[in-house]
Amino acid sequence: MKNKILNYFKKTEPKGMQSIVMVTFSVISISIMILLGSLMYLRFSISYKEEIVQNTKTLLEQTGESLEDYLISMRQVSDTIYYNVIKDSDLSNVNREVQNKMNLVYESDKGNLQSIAIYNGSGSLMAAEPVASQKRDPDVTKQEWFVQAMDEVENMHFSTPHIQNLFDDGTHRYYWVISLSRAIELTLGGNSQMGVLLVDMDFSNISRMMNQINVSRGGQYYYLCDGNGEIIYHPCQAQLNDGILKENSKTATTYKDGVYDETFEGERRKVIINTISYTGWKLVGVIPYSTFYHGMVNVRYFFCIILLLMTMMLGVISRTVSVRLSKPILRLNESVKKYEAGEKPEIYIGGSQEVRHLGNSIQKSYEQIDTLMRNIVLEQNERRKSEMDALQSQINPHFLYNTLESITWMIEGKRNDEAVFMISQLAKLFRISLSKGRTVISIKDELQHAQSYMNIQKIRYKDTFLVTFDVDESLYSYCTVKLILQPILENAINYGVSYMDDSGKITISGKRLDGNLILSVSDNGIGMSEEEVSLLLTDSNRAPKHGSGVGLVNVNNRIRLLFGEEYGLVIESEPDEGTTVSICIPAIPYTEENRKILEKGHLLRKEEINDMKIQDKNNEES
Amino acid sequence: MKKARNKFILMEAILALLVIIFTVIILREKEKENLEKVSVIIQNADDSQWAAFKYGLKMAAQDQQVEMSVVNMGTGLTAEEQKNLISQEIENGARAIILQPVSGDDTEKMLKRIGIKCPIMLVEEKVAVQKGKNTFPVIEPDHLAMGKALAKELLHDYDGKLEGKRVGIVVESRNSEATSSRENGFREALKGTGVNIVWSIANDEQEDVVKNLQNQSKVDIVAALDDNSLVLAGESAYYGNLHGALVYGIASSTEAVYYLDAGSAQCLVVPNEFNVGYKSMTETAKKLKHYFYKMNSETVSYTVLRQENLFSEENQKILFTMSQ
Repeated sequence: MKNKILNYFKKTEPKGMQSIVMVTFSVISISIMILLGSLMYLRFSISYKEEIVQNTKTLLEQTGESLEDYLISMRQVSDTIYYNVIKDSDLSNVNREVQNKMNLVYESDKGNLQSIAIYNGSGSLMAAEPVASQKRDPDVTKQEWFVQAMDEVENMHFSTPHIQNLFDDGTHRYYWVISLSRAIELTLGGNSQMGVLLVDMDFSNISRMMNQINVSRGGQYYYLCDGNGEIIYHPCQAQLNDGILKENSKTATTYKDGVYDETFEGERRKVIINTISYTGWKLVGVIPYSTFYHGMVNVRYFFCIILLLMTMMLGVISRTVSVRLSKPILRLNESVKKYEAGEKPEIYIGGSQEVRHLGNSIQKSYEQIDTLMRNIVLEQNERRKSEMDALQSQINPHFLYNTLESITWMIEGKRNDEAVFMISQLAKLFRISLSKGRTVISIKDELQHAQSYMNIQKIRYKDTFLVTFDVDESLYSYCTVKLILQPILENAINYGVSYMDDSGKITISGKRLDGNLILSVSDNGIGMSEEEVSLLLTDSNRAPKHGSGVGLVNVNNRIRLLFGEEYGLVIESEPDEGTTVSICIPAIPYTEENRKILEKGHLLRKEEINDMKIQDKNNEES
Repeated sequence: MKKARNKFILMEAILALLVIIFTVIILREKEKENLEKVSVIIQNADDSQWAAFKYGLKMAAQDQQVEMSVVNMGTGLTAEEQKNLISQEIENGARAIILQPVSGDDTEKMLKRIGIKCPIMLVEEKVAVQKGKNTFPVIEPDHLAMGKALAKELLHDYDGKLEGKRVGIVVESRNSEATSSRENGFREALKGTGVNIVWSIANDEQEDVVKNLQNQSKVDIVAALDDNSLVLAGESAYYGNLHGALVYGIASSTEAVYYLDAGSAQCLVVPNEFNVGYKSMTETAKKLKHYFYKMNSETVSYTVLRQENLFSEENQKILFTMSQ
């Protein structure tokens, strides 16, 4: 299972540079956008909630003030009737003046009032405005407003809304009123007694006031209850009466003014309380949390749309950017692929500065590789040619003919021992020349080859020159390129000592110097000028006058091809003094491993040669 | 490259599709703000007997967030005339109809035809069914039970001694299923009590209903089985034109309550018309919001009002809905 998941991710892993750039850019930008969007939405949603709560609070305060004004005006009506009408009059005989005064007060506030009535302590009607027939036996003493007024004589009392069932105005209608009642002192027939003044306020005023603020379809609503939690106004009054809905008004009465969170009937809601002074009524604003949600639904979708549009836009931007960024690299990659496939197009150079530089570098590298490849092929060809030349020199027919003729003469002259020596030297010469096809041989074999060659030449030249080998035996076990001494010796004979009568001298010496081996061939021949010396190693087109035709250039090249440019021949010559040709090669011990490495044919780096030298040094020390 | 480009186009297309979906949702949300309209077709819609019913409709419409209009339908309409009225309302944008059905054999057929394109909720009474079960949802008071309750109150007032008492019955129309049920319930409950039901009149069969009532032979008790009849009987009693008969009845208007308050009627059985209105509108709104919702039928409760308990806290709540 785990492997499957890993494989899935491996499969979906973006492979192209363009995909990586696009995905990375998109993921980062979209993440930032989502984060910012969420923060903005959160901030907006908090502000929205705060605004709703604040608006509700403000509305409650304003309505509370209006209600207070209304109730104050009703209390003022009550005060006016009490202090200007009742206190001044004997109500045992309600005369026209009393009725007029009551009428005046009623008319001045007719819109808010349903009726004004004065009852004595036993519940008999003393006066009323507007004048209407009292219902048969309403028994006001049992009505709550009357009881409350008589119980607490020092206060004014506001009832909850109820049907006024005192008067019959003939309209067959029932009016909802809030009764403001207070205990009063009546003068009846000169005697003072307790009574009740009733001011019935038209409930429709309060209802209208509350209806005006209950217009929101968002879910929030406002209701009014008294200090005991009895509902005075509720937008769903009938539903509450019918038990369809419930209200948490009892709890609301325990709250002081402010904003509260509560859960009622499984619904979370904010409750804002405003207390109406004097009455102790609570004006309550209720904002269910679903209101915030519903209000934010469209905003939420709007944010989603913005987010999606931004994502689309960022997708286009990131693709454009990634295409622009990656296109030069992709084109470069394509051109490199074509090159690798064997085609030879121009390497793409374009795009940004860096990509251009990369293209240039790759193109230069490829050009250099081509040049190097051509050089290697040339060098290989040259090496093969040099070796062929060297080999060919050993089977030079002229040399062989002369040698064999010398042997013939020796046999004819009965100098059999000399002939045997000559033949054995010739055999050694060819054995080493062949060396099982090896290119690298030991110094010892090379010296043996040189000695055999010189022995043959000495016989041919009838010992007219002297040959001395002065090479320390410790150098015998180092590597050298095959047949490098023979051409030098041939030159020494042909151009150095062949013209001297018995005084020619050729010395072959060897020494070790700074980790290198120096093999020198010195003659005391006629020598050369500096110009001629300088041409010896540079002019490969010079036709040899004598000998095998294998020039010093060939020897020099072979050494350099094998060991590097810093090795090769050094020629020192003085006219009439003689010539010394020194071969400089690295001191690499002759082992089978080293031989094979050298014969692989590639140019050895300095480090490789140094490693071989170090190996030698260690061997010496041990 | 091509594959990547195709993927990119696909991704952009999906995002564009999501944008379109969200835009449609926003537009639909805005459309929701334009409330669905429900038409309520009732007989004599302006009568005060409908006050509590209409208040129930209004409250439910507020709660359910639908728009409501009440259409007045005259009395004595045929099924065809009612059909035309319904069609007119549908043409005017009504998405559902709340209907007080007219009596008649064709009404069921007509309602079935219209019910296919527009949900119909019946109120107050069932439609007469020729065969099988009544398939239309209906919210109504339990008429039979109200008739029985009225008789029970009568028996209570006379301590069960109704032997030889003369009773007259007044109804608005004999063609009403509701009235028939009430009368049946009333008669059923009085069976075996020795009461003598002297006459039974229907107002829609008379030209001058007031005179007709006064001209009936003297009875001890007049049972008015609907609001109009009770107001008529109450008024006659109020002015002393009922030969001293006591009025009992079933009603739902403040006028009827007034005659009870004034002592012209002895007892009222008041159906919870607020509940009829509220529940019918709620069920209809639910149907509009959820296409597969099945509207339920329900019978609502009733209350017995007497002069002595008329202004009790509970009964004031009933009066509150009637006074709206």
